[in-house]
Amino acid sequence: MNYSLISLEIAVVILGLGLLLADLWIRPEQKTRLGYLAALGVGLILFWSFKFSGVPSASAFNGMFVLDPLALYFQRFFLLAAIIVLIMSVAFAGRIATGISEYYSLIIFALAGMMFAASANDLALLFVALELITVTFYVLTSFQRARLASLEAGVKYLIIGALSSAFLVYGIALVFGTTGQLNFNRIAAVASEFADNRVFLLGILFILVGLSFKLAAFPAHLWAPDVYQGSPVPTTAFLAVGSKAAGFVLLLRLLFTAVPAITERWNDLLIVVAMVTILYGNLCAIPQRNLKRIFGYSSIANAGYLLMGVAALSGAGRAAVLYYLGGYLFAVLAAFLVILLVMNEVEGEDISALAGLNQRSPLLAAALTCSMVSLAGIPPLAGFFGKFLLIKAALEQGAIDPLYYWLVGVAFLGVIISISYYFGVIRAIYWSKEPPVLSAIPVPLILRLALYVCLAGMFYLGLFPNTVVELANAAVKVLAVR
Amino acid sequence: MEDHFIENLGWVALLLPLLSAVAITLGGPFGARRAAAKISIGAVALSFVASLILFLYLHLTGQPALAETSFPWLIIGKYGELNNLQFNLGLQLDTLSLVMMLVVTGVGLLIHIYSQGYLAGDPGYSRYFACLSLFTFSMLGIVLADNFLMMFIFWELVGISSYLLIGFWYHKPAAADACKKAFITNRIGDFGFLLGILLVWSVLGSVGFASLKLEAAHPNHFGPVATIAGLLIFCGAMGKSAQFPLHVWLPDAMEGPTPVSALIHAATMVAAGVYMLCRVYFLLSFPGSQALEIIGWIGGFTALLAALIAVQQNDIKRILAYSTLSQLGYMVMAVGSHGPTAAMYHLTTHAFFKALLFLGAGAVIHAMHHEQDIWQMGGLRKKLPVTFWTFLTGTLALCGVPFFSGFYSKDSILAQALKNGSYGLFIIGVLVAALTTFYMARLALVVFWGSARSSAAEHPHEAPGVMLWPLRILAVPSVIGGLLFIEATFEHFFAGGHGEAGTITWAEQLLEPLNASPAAALSGIFAIMVGGAFAGALYWKAASDPLPLRLGWFARAMRNRFYFDELYERVLIPATHELWSRIAQAIDRWIIGGLAVRGASGATEFAGRALRLVQSGSLQTYAFLLVAGVAAVIYCLLAR
Repeated sequence: MNYSLISLEIAVVILGLGLLLADLWIRPEQKTRLGYLAALGVGLILFWSFKFSGVPSASAFNGMFVLDPLALYFQRFFLLAAIIVLIMSVAFAGRIATGISEYYSLIIFALAGMMFAASANDLALLFVALELITVTFYVLTSFQRARLASLEAGVKYLIIGALSSAFLVYGIALVFGTTGQLNFNRIAAVASEFADNRVFLLGILFILVGLSFKLAAFPAHLWAPDVYQGSPVPTTAFLAVGSKAAGFVLLLRLLFTAVPAITERWNDLLIVVAMVTILYGNLCAIPQRNLKRIFGYSSIANAGYLLMGVAALSGAGRAAVLYYLGGYLFAVLAAFLVILLVMNEVEGEDISALAGLNQRSPLLAAALTCSMVSLAGIPPLAGFFGKFLLIKAALEQGAIDPLYYWLVGVAFLGVIISISYYFGVIRAIYWSKEPPVLSAIPVPLILRLALYVCLAGMFYLGLFPNTVVELANAAVKVLAVR
Repeated sequence: MEDHFIENLGWVALLLPLLSAVAITLGGPFGARRAAAKISIGAVALSFVASLILFLYLHLTGQPALAETSFPWLIIGKYGELNNLQFNLGLQLDTLSLVMMLVVTGVGLLIHIYSQGYLAGDPGYSRYFACLSLFTFSMLGIVLADNFLMMFIFWELVGISSYLLIGFWYHKPAAADACKKAFITNRIGDFGFLLGILLVWSVLGSVGFASLKLEAAHPNHFGPVATIAGLLIFCGAMGKSAQFPLHVWLPDAMEGPTPVSALIHAATMVAAGVYMLCRVYFLLSFPGSQALEIIGWIGGFTALLAALIAVQQNDIKRILAYSTLSQLGYMVMAVGSHGPTAAMYHLTTHAFFKALLFLGAGAVIHAMHHEQDIWQMGGLRKKLPVTFWTFLTGTLALCGVPFFSGFYSKDSILAQALKNGSYGLFIIGVLVAALTTFYMARLALVVFWGSARSSAAEHPHEAPGVMLWPLRILAVPSVIGGLLFIEATFEHFFAGGHGEAGTITWAEQLLEPLNASPAAALSGIFAIMVGGAFAGALYWKAASDPLPLRLGWFARAMRNRFYFDELYERVLIPATHELWSRIAQAIDRWIIGGLAVRGASGATEFAGRALRLVQSGSLQTYAFLLVAGVAAVIYCLLAR
């Protein structure tokens, strides 16, 4: 067996353990800075991951684990997200009473779960990876133990998460019970025999319900706004970006490797779920005033857009999902970086806290504006091209099934609705009536750099989409061809 | 390896000004605001050096063009498929673009330096240099673009950055109006340009200049649409190069700072139209196309019209602005009479002496405490010696006095018109030459000779060195521009690299016009003498303008720019703008405002609030709804 295939994951786990150990010897006042060390370590692993580019796809552990372009794309995605989230955590450390180094190492363990999820080709590894992510997030969401809201978020996440996990594990049991297989490829080989076996289909459906919890998509989407609002800011950011992407890579692999025939039969289900998710997220976001809660709903809406690419059942659609996630990463992390810095200055998470931001820190104002513009899907930023690709992929299938036209219509409607609340944020920045305080907001150098990276990412993806589209096309080739 | 370095130098030259604009805008905290001028000047200077290296490399290796360095920018559809939509970004590095690069960055550099003095102490100092850098970037993009799409993008960027520069003093209502006018007028032209690009693209299936050239080389179905496509593309040039009837924006654009006028209205933006026509000359001269004929006449008409208007203007910058219009008409006329060589030649020399004249006018205005009326000046010859001598050099070059650069390039245009058999255009050309001498002599005589006509003119103060040195440097090519083998270089290029370049000596070059086309040269010299004599007789030590009395209504018409602005304002704009605004307003109020916004936003708002009830925060509800959702899905998929 080739252990070098999981060397990235091993490195991440060692880094997490190392942080826990380092905590024992480092003086308390130095512990905050450990986060930079962790970010550096993740950065080195990201750098190292480029050694694997171009290596032919290979699997390990009896086909349970695969390392292919798709896995690498997502692994780099998670590593990049983790670096920025760790940097955010350092800036957030002042508001975490005790155990900041545990916070860092939990982020690293969640990262390890996501890395495994990117490579999971087996229901058992899928379950383990998801639980590794979910269980660490139980702790991460409720890390501000003294804050009631944080505890509430933790409990809600725990209970809904446990419920979804129950569906997931039940589904896995049903699939295993009918087919006797856990490996995706082997399930694919026998799936045609069970195409009409309701127990098998029920199992697949339950697994999808379990995954929809990760995606924050219908039917397990209700937790997102409450948990996003209550959790510490870096947790919310990681939840919005990393956890969602992990759900998508698992969904893509499961649907298109294990049960492609059933996926095609269920395209109407995917379309309807996408439509409901888009509409729910966007409609509920309109009356919101809490910044993090807006992102909770926006996260649901974006899960819907991404599902549109999955529902398109084409290589173009799957590539669009990967591209869109890239743009989403930069936009969301930029927004949370700004929110974090503003929250450090102003109490309360209301949208009115942004008043006069353009005078307090033009950089933060510009970054949040770009992020909103990108999320709203306005050129020339990444979000525009991502939505363009997703909608195009869905339109191309319209000839097969007219329901796709409805999906595109709903997506457009969602985009239009979303402009109203995204621009509400921009309006709060620039055109608020009475900015109460106008003291400058200091932006530490390293956060400034992180912001620049996010901004550069949004602009680069929007202006020169080709590189990433090519990467995404290459990555989704490993999924069943159609 | 070395080749790669050389090709990438083009990107360096293009991107440096952009980098400077970004650095000045974003780098406030790092002190970039204070160093704005230095960053901006440094960027354009390095661009100039890069262009120079590229030009010398091309010249010494004797290649017609460097290999294109293009990369796919946007691919829609699957990569490698035939019918996908692919756009490239690439640079065209050949003689035409590199000479233009040298002009843009060289003249631009001097104007940047001059601005440092002219704008000193202005509150928008750093904003000015950021805009200037952005403008340079956009202009270089037009010059270097190797396809229509990229050119169009930069074309629009020039529009935007000129808008920012013309409206630099946006608190002045006149400047705010002028920048709006420039932008909108240009947009009208650009619309035609875009249609032209789309037409060419749909017929020939490509937007790249190189592939278009190949397509247009063999007979195909482009013939029937060649005329209309050529004219639509010309619409773009009509806007940017301010040709009739879209010429109205250029004089108003003088509201911007004077160095901006020098940059935009002499060396770069307005030259972009002519440059573009020369770049796609192979499309315009397509066999069977009537486009060039029409283009030539529009150019000639613009030249004559603008020269007549210039005769009766009193604002020093406006005289120069109409003179620019007239000279641009000349260049377009040259393109129209199948002479892209002559057009590019005149474009190059004109860039030198017109920039010199604008900067000289800036120095005069600076000396006169921002007085621009020439009848308030007078006798400045003694008090502003450097400005006087350099301005005089520019004037002589513009009039086309023998052995100054303008003589050679203007003669080249006249000779081309004769050679092409366009006698009508030739006569217009000679007439315009006489008028040019007349109004320039009037300007010089009134401003620099005679006695001071106001208190400001009695105590002017010469501009600082940072403003005078660019004048001195620009005076050199204004004089010797005709001897630099520019014409031979372009001829070589437009002949497709077949002509013989640089075989004539300096001495032959000196008298070349008389040898090549004596009729054209002699009529040019005659026109100068007539124009100069009339101006001398009328304006030598004149206290006020005698012309209105002698010409009556015609002088009034000239002064009022033949009422074109009024015509547009009273007739065209109400007929279109008012009508459209009414329709738009009705749609806005009843359909968008009533139905779409109030109706839809009310409905969505209501839906949002209703859905919010679901989101109660109660965990039991969430869990219940989750299971209910799963049950619904199972029912739909499996139970039926």
